Amino acid sequence: MRHRLLAVPLAAAVLVTSACSAQETSTTGGSTAKAGYVATVDDSLPAGGTLDVELPIDIGAATGLDPQLADVASSWQLMSLVYETLVTVGPDFAVQPALAASWENPSPTKYVFRLRDDVFFSNGRAMTADDVVGSLQRLLASQSVWRGQLGPVKSVTKVDDKTVDVELTTAYTPFLAALANVPAAVLPMKEINEKSVDVTKTMLGTGPFKVDSHRQDVSWAFGKNDKYWSDGEPRLDGVNVTIATEEAARVASLQSGKASVATLGNVDSKSMLAGASGVEVLSQATTDFYYLMLNTQVSGSKFADPRVRKAINIALDREQISSVALGGQGKPTGVTPTGLPGACDPAGLPSATAGAEEAKKLLAEAGATNLTFTLSIFSTAPAPAVAQVIQQNLEQVGITVKIEQMDEASWAGKVYGAVPATFDAALSWFAGYADAGMVTKWWNPDVAVFNKGFMKSDPALSSAIDKAVVLPAGDARTAALAEVCTKVDEDAQMLPLVTRPSTVAYRTDAASVGLYATEGYGNALRLIADFRKKSA
Amino acid sequence: MRLALWWLGRAVSAAATLLGVSILIFAAVRMMPGGFAETILGPFATADQKAELADRYGLDQSVFVQYGHWLAAVARGDFGVSMISREPVVSELWARLPVTGQLTLFSVLIATLVGVPLGVLTAVRARRAAVGRLLSGLGVSVPEFVLGSLVVFLFSRYALGLPAGGYDNVRSLVLPSLVLSFFAISITARTTRDAVMGVLVEPYVTAAVARGESPWFIIRHHVLRNAAIPVVTLLATITAYLLGGALIVEYVFNLPGIGSYVVQAVGRRDYAVVQAGVLLAATVFIVLNLLVDLVVGLIDPRLGVTSKGRRA
Repeated sequence: MRHRLLAVPLAAAVLVTSACSAQETSTTGGSTAKAGYVATVDDSLPAGGTLDVELPIDIGAATGLDPQLADVASSWQLMSLVYETLVTVGPDFAVQPALAASWENPSPTKYVFRLRDDVFFSNGRAMTADDVVGSLQRLLASQSVWRGQLGPVKSVTKVDDKTVDVELTTAYTPFLAALANVPAAVLPMKEINEKSVDVTKTMLGTGPFKVDSHRQDVSWAFGKNDKYWSDGEPRLDGVNVTIATEEAARVASLQSGKASVATLGNVDSKSMLAGASGVEVLSQATTDFYYLMLNTQVSGSKFADPRVRKAINIALDREQISSVALGGQGKPTGVTPTGLPGACDPAGLPSATAGAEEAKKLLAEAGATNLTFTLSIFSTAPAPAVAQVIQQNLEQVGITVKIEQMDEASWAGKVYGAVPATFDAALSWFAGYADAGMVTKWWNPDVAVFNKGFMKSDPALSSAIDKAVVLPAGDARTAALAEVCTKVDEDAQMLPLVTRPSTVAYRTDAASVGLYATEGYGNALRLIADFRKKSA
Repeated sequence: MRLALWWLGRAVSAAATLLGVSILIFAAVRMMPGGFAETILGPFATADQKAELADRYGLDQSVFVQYGHWLAAVARGDFGVSMISREPVVSELWARLPVTGQLTLFSVLIATLVGVPLGVLTAVRARRAAVGRLLSGLGVSVPEFVLGSLVVFLFSRYALGLPAGGYDNVRSLVLPSLVLSFFAISITARTTRDAVMGVLVEPYVTAAVARGESPWFIIRHHVLRNAAIPVVTLLATITAYLLGGALIVEYVFNLPGIGSYVVQAVGRRDYAVVQAGVLLAATVFIVLNLLVDLVVGLIDPRLGVTSKGRRA
């Protein structure tokens, strides 16, 4: 009895202690992580060795290996081993120095970057201010989608060998966050101008690794950049990347020890790997999110009436989509991705506070009580599962959804191949980036022309989006972003659903890895310069 | 002379078939939903980027002009350039050929070395027939991706001594070859069994038994040769089938072969790669059939060539 009496306060003390310490560190399987991380590298491990990594997809665009034209996260991830930017994002999206040792923001439209003086490209040439200026000017003159995300850049000027000025025409808060992504990387402009390097066919950067060999869709071999500026980094001698399209093949490689680290796309992979000894599966939150497109531009559109779109928005149960289709690892989101500073609370949006009866009433008012439509999806998991939950959600308010599943190419042709587009509704996901205002631009089809086939611009919404990117971080910007969320929710042509989790697995006997708790640019290898190989 | 006529006829027929295949595949890849621009440039691509890409690969010209250019290039041995890697398709096919070639070869060998004896055994030993039927049933009813996934899981989870994914050396092909040959073994065994049973009732076999020849001698000298024609024909068909089936096994085992290359190209609408891959497969199929005709003639000289250059 006395033991029991003692046990209660002891257990309480343990719980309180655990709760307090959980604010600073979290433990996942065998790894202990700091706040803002799901895993941190064991600094006591020695450097050296080559890490075997498996990824599902190679850089695979007709634009080749040019980082400025890379527009998908899978490309950014691989390119980040070689290329670096002036600034980078830390845990919780704080902008941190990278190739720029520091920067000043003397006015809302001016940025002054002081460059590090110990940066070299992997061919041994020192990085100069000319490389920085040339790279940004090349980006601004290109057809890159990132040119728009970089904002209203007026000029990029070399002040001296170690200083670069960037002038904007108007204030633009996401500028530094946009500058932190791979398309804004510093390129070897001297070699590019001399045509001694073709960056569409090879990669040459200032990053921790250099390309030793590459076979498209098969493998990469990265060697250490011996002149890398960060002391002691990279810790690894090299990284071998194998492209394994099939998820089961990557799981098998982890189990057998062929791969030390792999990214996984299926949220069930954790349970698939549950019995595998020495494999730890980490779930990383991302700002990427699924969204539902309702085509209002096709002749005879079933969604031309805003009341129908609003009813659909109300009927969607985002918590259920997350729990059923994403194993509870996604989070409901508005158009400002959940997890980013200043993002709106999706629970406070009009669609979230209305009920099914309201949705039915709206459908009845619109004369759409027996609405039936086709939802076009691509077959990559977990999109089919997300679509099935949407189907069941809408069935509750009398809407019949037929799911049309196709390969990604067919899907892309159907959604983006014609103006007006021919689909009824479609499901996809956007990268959410590292500033809450960045992805909102895709809700203005005059800017995001790829959306013109299925949505019309809403001047009030476009104006709200433009306002939110201009305001400096703070309460006023948070309120402006909330207004954007509300307008997107009411417009309901593209409905934000839930964030898309990322899964990274590694062998605890072969690697020690670091991973942010939340990632904005889909880069699970962001901290690879610090990864260690255990058997080295 | 008759043989030369026969070969000439077959060569013309093969060329016509390949031409037909080339037209079909050229038209088919362009009729697939989802254009190359949306697929390989992505949704963010501008109209200028799409136009530049179309211009670079001549995709803005009429389909007939494109086909003419492609056919002329193929005739010169130039299969074009991948729109993704920007590398010549031939060099990538060449680099991947050893994987797919070895995988198919090993599978055919396994199918022959296991399927033929199994078929003979089940034909001559009635008590083994049930076992043969069971194995045949399993072989034709278990798809490669199911068996492959199971094998990959078991060998990767329990470290059973063989690599279960990726390609390092020939050892990496043991499990994929076994998986790929599973179906072929059952079909080969079943066909061999039927052929052998058909021959066993022939009078010359009864005569051999009456002469007191040993069962093994009868099988070797009287049965196998006469039962071989359907089996050889089947093995040629199976080789072509295995080349097709290899793409699934290559995917499951993550082997960098031609199958996975072409499948990825289909997904990306990388026209030159798809066209070259399908044309290569068709060529292999046609050449194999020519070889079968040749081998069948050697096995059974009665199947000669008539004065009109046709098989008797």
